[in-house]
Amino acid sequence: MTMTVMHDDTDPNKVRYGNAGEFGALVARTQRERGGAQDVSGVRMPADLERKQPDRMWSTRRSGKQGNTLKRFPMVGFVSVAVLAFLYVPMVIVVFFSFNGGKQALLWQGFSLRWYGEVFTNGAIINATETSLLVAVIATVLSTALGVLYVLAVDHMSRAGSALASMLINASMLIPEIVLGVATMAFIRLIGLAPGFVPLVLAHTTFCIPFVVMPIRARLATIDHACFEAAEDLGASGPVTVFRVTLPLLVPGIVSGALMAFVVSMDDFMISNFLTTAGTTTLPIYIFSLIRKGVNPSVNVVASLLLLLAVVVTVTSTLLTNRKSK
Amino acid sequence: MSAADRKTGTRREPADVPAAKTSAWSRWFGSSHAVKPGMLNRLYSLPSIIIGLLFTLGPIGVIIAFSFMSRPDMGGGVVFRFSTDAYEKLLFRHDFFGNRSFDARYLQVFGTSLWQALLTTVICVALAFPIALWMSMKSAKIQQILVLLVTIPFWTNLLVRTYAWMLILNENGPINWALRLLGIGSQQMLYTSFASVIGLIYTFLPFAILPMYSALSGFDFRLVEAAYDLGAHKLTVMRRVIFRAAMPGVMSGIALCFIPAFGSYVQPVLLGGGRVLMVGNLIASQFAEARNWPFGAALSTVILAVTLLGALVASVLGGRASRKAGE
Repeated sequence: MTMTVMHDDTDPNKVRYGNAGEFGALVARTQRERGGAQDVSGVRMPADLERKQPDRMWSTRRSGKQGNTLKRFPMVGFVSVAVLAFLYVPMVIVVFFSFNGGKQALLWQGFSLRWYGEVFTNGAIINATETSLLVAVIATVLSTALGVLYVLAVDHMSRAGSALASMLINASMLIPEIVLGVATMAFIRLIGLAPGFVPLVLAHTTFCIPFVVMPIRARLATIDHACFEAAEDLGASGPVTVFRVTLPLLVPGIVSGALMAFVVSMDDFMISNFLTTAGTTTLPIYIFSLIRKGVNPSVNVVASLLLLLAVVVTVTSTLLTNRKSK
Repeated sequence: MSAADRKTGTRREPADVPAAKTSAWSRWFGSSHAVKPGMLNRLYSLPSIIIGLLFTLGPIGVIIAFSFMSRPDMGGGVVFRFSTDAYEKLLFRHDFFGNRSFDARYLQVFGTSLWQALLTTVICVALAFPIALWMSMKSAKIQQILVLLVTIPFWTNLLVRTYAWMLILNENGPINWALRLLGIGSQQMLYTSFASVIGLIYTFLPFAILPMYSALSGFDFRLVEAAYDLGAHKLTVMRRVIFRAAMPGVMSGIALCFIPAFGSYVQPVLLGGGRVLMVGNLIASQFAEARNWPFGAALSTVILAVTLLGALVASVLGGRASRKAGE
């Protein structure tokens, strides 16, 4: 094989470059074919190009190749590792102290699962967890259903309509939580409801919707719309296409949105704080009332469990989003 | 009728037909096309919109309206009588004889909030830029893992994250233990404004990292090479090439840190103790203990305005930055 001419569509990593000898032979052959120069042996490569290796294109792009000092910046690696440590050391400390056997939250008296046992038998914590779970499950189901309907319908809206609608839907993420909390409380009072379970669930549903909509919209953008047209062409009616083509294709986005909604609802403190009554204390509100007085060994345990929930949900959601669409 | 219309025409909702005829209505709210296969009619978005109107726009309207009303003689709530007393109370104090004098107490609270939020934002962005750059230079697989590592704190309960710092900064906590070991002696760290800022930084750092990373993750590092070829120094490349590419992310990072930090409640209460009074705490106390609802509503309206202004500035600057970065 002689020198390969590189085209734009050629993968640069697969291009075979000839050595200088091949190049010389190619030049000689061209000259011979054109019937010009007689003295073939006179064609030589310039000396400094004899051992020149081809520059690999895109060598600095993305992949971190060793020995490439171009992408080394002072302090960047150090700061990054320090930031990751800053993010994780506090959590590791919480988990570490949750296995403390002592009566004090911070006085290490040997490994023990004692506080885990206490938490699992503590009536107040169990009640608060049950309330939180119930609110979170209902809010998740409602917000996921509404979010799916919204994402599928927003395509049919006019530009002004979809801009207004998405502003309205996303507003709850932008408004400071404290303002939304007191405002919702004032609104609930004004329309004649009392704070309690129903307003709590409705408020949670509202601020969960944007978190559901985001991953579903992202998923929809990756789906080839020819699938839907194919279904129609094969005689499926509108609802059948939605149920048997669109929704199954959206499942990873829907699951990851529902997981996010669940976590957001479980975590909410600010807005629930203004909407709960004595009978509907959620877990974050109970934790807040405990830690307001200072550190507490059973909070170490609850905090570790909530951390575990965050890890499980984030990993699952990442795996679902990164899975290649089939 | 176009071919697409004819194809889906049988399934169109009857409500759609008149919308297509009235011109002013259809210009703003009419849809230019039929329902695409696999999608739904726009009527199905109504439940979300109604719940958004009821529980987002409704409450905000109510709180703005409340800020212009008067407080009842006793207890919480409002009476429906127009008054700007609540806004006056922000700046002025009335003494027993009805004389008006300037009152800086509440401005100070705004000042504290502004200072804590700005400090948080600056430190978050400064820490987020290196790690966002570092992440974007790793291989695709490692990038995924790093994004996951940054996202986990983002999804962890706010109270858990704040509680972790209560443990660390506690007088019997690890830092004071180390300080005692070094012979320095324990320091009061919990319940100071320093603790509150640390808590805010810890909470909002992922909010700064993620948008900056997403701005840099598509960055073409050949530009860096070109800058070196043209004789630029490392720091020049960082400042004039990479930072400029990250600028849209920096802007949204600033907005995502500053806005919630300005209205924060949990960190100042739990980590700042009684020493840090921010707008969020003031609002909460107006609705719970002191029970001056109109004043609380006025404070809410003010931070809502600050927030929206901040978001607007950030989106304008971000748009400009992304146009610049695209050049």
